[in-house]
Formats: sequence, C-alpha cells, structure tokens
Amino acid sequence: MWLWFSKLGSPKWFYELSGRWLPWLVIPMALLLIVGIVWALLFVPPDYQQGNTIRIMYIHVPFASISLAFFPLMAVAGTITLVWRMKLADMVAKQAAPLGAWFTALALASGSIWGSDIWGTWWIWDGRLTSMLLQFFLLIGVISLRSALEDTDAAAKACAVLSIVGCINVFVIKFSVDWWNTLHQPAGDFSLSDEAANPPEVWVPLVIMIVAIYLFFAVSLILSTRNEILQRERRAQWVQELVEGH
Amino acid sequence: MFETIQFSSLGEFFEMGGYAFNVWSVYMLFILFFFINLYFPLLKKKQIIREQKRRLVVSKESTIEISET
Repeated sequence: MWLWFSKLGSPKWFYELSGRWLPWLVIPMALLLIVGIVWALLFVPPDYQQGNTIRIMYIHVPFASISLAFFPLMAVAGTITLVWRMKLADMVAKQAAPLGAWFTALALASGSIWGSDIWGTWWIWDGRLTSMLLQFFLLIGVISLRSALEDTDAAAKACAVLSIVGCINVFVIKFSVDWWNTLHQPAGDFSLSDEAANPPEVWVPLVIMIVAIYLFFAVSLILSTRNEILQRERRAQWVQELVEGH
Repeated sequence: MFETIQFSSLGEFFEMGGYAFNVWSVYMLFILFFFINLYFPLLKKKQIIREQKRRLVVSKESTIEISET
C-alpha cells in the first residue's frame, strides 16, 4: 500500500501510466458523447411543460454536477500536499482550479439560457444560483492566489487551505434547493417504473451524458496535469530524454 | 426505450418548437468548450517540448564551449 502510494506520487510514474490510460478514456468518451447528444437532440420526447428546452438539461445537469467535484478534489489533493508533501497532488490541484472555473461557468451559462425562457428571467439571486456563482469566484480566487505567490511551496500550501475551506460552499450548493424553495427545481428522482415523473427515455440519455462529461473532465485534467509535469520536472533526466526523443 | 425521432422534418428540428436560440446556443457553447479544452492542452504540450528542446541544445552548446576553453 505505501509502496503504491509513493509510486503514485512520482510524476514520472503518473506520466507513463496516464499516457497508457488516455486512449481508454478518450474512446468511451467520444462514443458516449455521440450517442448521448444524438439521443438528447432527436429521440427524447419534448417535456409537457418545458417543450424542447428539456434538451438543454443534457448539457446543464452533467456540467453542474461535475462542477461540485472540483472543490472536494482540490481539498483532497491539498490535504495530501500539506501532509505528505506530494508534488503530484499539487500539480493536479493547480490544474483543477482553472478547469473548474470553466466547468462552473458553463453550468451557469447553460442554466441561464435555459431559465431565460422557462423562468422568464436570465438570473435570480436564489440559493442555488448565488452559491454556484460564489464557487466561480472562489475558483478565480484560488487561481489568483497561486499566481500572486511566487514561491511554489507557499502557493501550494495557501491554495490547499483555501480549497479545504471552499468545500463548505459545496454543501450550500448541494442543499440550497432543499433549504430555499425557489425557481430552481430540486434534483429529480430517477426510477425505472414507467409511471414515474422521469421515465427511462428521459433519464437514460442523461446518465449517458453524465458519464461522458465525467470522462471529458478526467481527460482534460490528465492532459493539463501532464503538461504541468513536463514543466515542473524539466530538469529531471526522464523529461530531458523524452524531449530529445520528440 | 427508443421512441421514434421527435421531428418530422429538418426545418422542424432546427426550429426546436420555438426554442431554437436556447437549445442551439447551449449545444454550440458545449461543442466550442469541448474542442477548445482538448486542443489547447495539446498545443501547449507541443510548445513546452519545443521550448525545452531549445533549452537543452543551448545548455549542451555552452557545456561544449566550456570544455573547449
């Protein structure tokens, strides 16, 4: 276990392993995305209230749900950085912040475009939307904190602490729709029965899109972490050999 | 589970029952974001390798010069 843990912390090991994994993430991602998008756009029946805007759900819900994973991910990576001083964990945390800001922005934008018609407004200051916007600014805060501190170790520690504190907001986002009853609907219940509010032809493509976009998140994070490794480990023997081989 | 296609013509598909702007702008945003997000890390990797290659050549030349003098 400890051998595995210290091995995982080695950037070289991660670089080689992730290089071998990437095709096995990219191929299912592409297949699921194509199936999911075609299904969502062509085959899902229009909602009895929302009509064809229901198709926006297949982009909005996956992005909104994966957006909640960034702070816990950065907090776990931050804890590993603080406790075990693992370089790789900080590289992942550093690359996750801007990616998280983009994912959060897309969740907000798609939700806003969806709401502009079915709610009749682009924006309301309710619990869900406000806490999600707060997460976006917190992520911008983490990014600026890192760029403001020149010392890599100090920046890693400061960002780790901010990420752990920022996790509180994730709970607020998660339970906001139950605490404050506003325009944003609570999470749907998915069941297999045909009489349910959400029949399988509505939620099966949603599950496909959620898995596809989770894979997309993994691929994006791995790609940018690999770049971070190449930059930070540029003096290492194996990186120099890799660069010469290109 | 697979119902039939919900649109009877291509025009109807693009119209999205009057929600063309909302539906298509969200899907366009997603596709744009998807390709940008995969393209830029790959572009950056090429830049990093190019830059480090140059640095390696420079450092090798300088070590040769030092050893010659």
